[in-house]
Amino acid sequence: MAAAVNPIRAAGISVEEELGAVADRLRLSTVRVLGGDGCGSGVIWRPDGLIVTNAHVARSGLQRVELADGRKFTGKVFARDPRRDLAAIQIEGRNIPSLMIRDAKTLRAGEMVIAVGNPMGEVGAASIGIVHSAPRNRSLIFADVRLLPGNSGGPLADVEGRVVGINTLVAAGLGCAIPSNEVARFLRGLGIVAR
Amino acid sequence: MCESVRRFRVFLVGDEPQEKEMASALVEFSNGLADAVERAGKSVVAVLEGGRAGVSGTVWRDGIVVTAEHTIRSEVEVTLVLPSGETVKAKVVGGDPSTDVAVLTVGAKAATVAFADAAQVKTGHVVLAIGRRGEEGVSASFGMVSATGGAWRTWQGGKIDRYLRLDLNPYPGFSGGPLIDASGAVLGINTSGPRRSVTTIPNATVDRVVDAVLKRGRVTRGFLGVGVQPVAFPEASKAALGLERNRGLLVITISEGGPAEKAGLMIGDIIVAVDGNAVAHASDLQMALDPEKVGNAISVKVLRGGKLQDVKLTVGERAGRE
Repeated sequence: MAAAVNPIRAAGISVEEELGAVADRLRLSTVRVLGGDGCGSGVIWRPDGLIVTNAHVARSGLQRVELADGRKFTGKVFARDPRRDLAAIQIEGRNIPSLMIRDAKTLRAGEMVIAVGNPMGEVGAASIGIVHSAPRNRSLIFADVRLLPGNSGGPLADVEGRVVGINTLVAAGLGCAIPSNEVARFLRGLGIVAR
Repeated sequence: MCESVRRFRVFLVGDEPQEKEMASALVEFSNGLADAVERAGKSVVAVLEGGRAGVSGTVWRDGIVVTAEHTIRSEVEVTLVLPSGETVKAKVVGGDPSTDVAVLTVGAKAATVAFADAAQVKTGHVVLAIGRRGEEGVSASFGMVSATGGAWRTWQGGKIDRYLRLDLNPYPGFSGGPLIDASGAVLGINTSGPRRSVTTIPNATVDRVVDAVLKRGRVTRGFLGVGVQPVAFPEASKAALGLERNRGLLVITISEGGPAEKAGLMIGDIIVAVDGNAVAHASDLQMALDPEKVGNAISVKVLRGGKLQDVKLTVGERAGRE
């Protein structure tokens, strides 16, 4: 092998510690969205309490939302777009930790991604993988990452903890996420402009 | 590639994240993987007619593309989408079903792969399977080498120079694409294994098939002209005859005019060794059937009428594609 490979040992801080830190940070901004048939996930998109999730997760007008720190809210689902499978929920509170957003068009195939959510009721579970194919035009992000029911609506993020997509479905074993730029388009349609 | 110090964000609970400069091994690792995929992806093509919805191919040498033999139905030509996005026709030169490698030639230019030494691969190494699907571009799956081993044979008798067991998900269209290490160097060609697993045909095996196909248009296989059945004989006769094992291969058919008949083998003979190696299963004869054995004389030890005798046999060549 060219240059005895694993880059894992290359730098000063351990990769595990860094991964743990990023996963912890993502967990803080991943909410549980509780509905009639189980629980999905959601991403705190803005510090003013705007939460983005899947339309198939937020089915009713009011939805129970639980933060990682244990706070419980009743969120108002003020927009649903079943075609895009996106929904926007507003909660009212202080110190709501949001995440940074990265344009999914800048993703590269092979880059690492982390999915956080509540698969099968497990709260704040993280799974790691890579971008399978970079999203083209307005297609989904395909990721070689393990997703399960309950991951829906949760963040797919890069290794720096920036959200690149909303985990939505599994196709042929691949995790599929709605790209962040598609979410931005959805929010712009509601009159919400990116910071 | 990636710089060693990157902006790594340290987050606090609050409205805005703070940033500070830190070396991030994680960011570097992730960028390294994306770089490896990009580098190798320049030599990965899409084979449009392969499999159900297209497979992948790897630019092995200048103008030579290899892919998975089982996915190719045409014996004449296939359509490729090159990394440049260009669609071209490639000629099917030939293939070897026993190692699942097909060789195509293409006029258009594309970068060839960089090779890694498959012998250096250890359990635990990070590997990626690369593919290309039509115009969707390059695709990658992440995995790890979960076991390695020496040479093995496929059920069709093809010799695979090294065993690599992978913890890696095979996604549609990955067949024929390369397995790469974390630096982007190629370890072999991937094809589908049993139970949704990945089988990697290592570089040395692919090279051998490419050389044979370019030289002769096919991979030759040896032919002995016998049908055999494993038999066991009593321990007493094993000791009396001074044999290593109490097993042998009973000759039950002899092909008309085949190498075995010419050498004087008869139905009822029990083959106990070939070139000094004891045989107990029909698959033990595969070693006498490798391409380089064609035309060579081998020594077959048979038990006939209660006595051991050596028979010289010249390995023939199997006719036809299979």
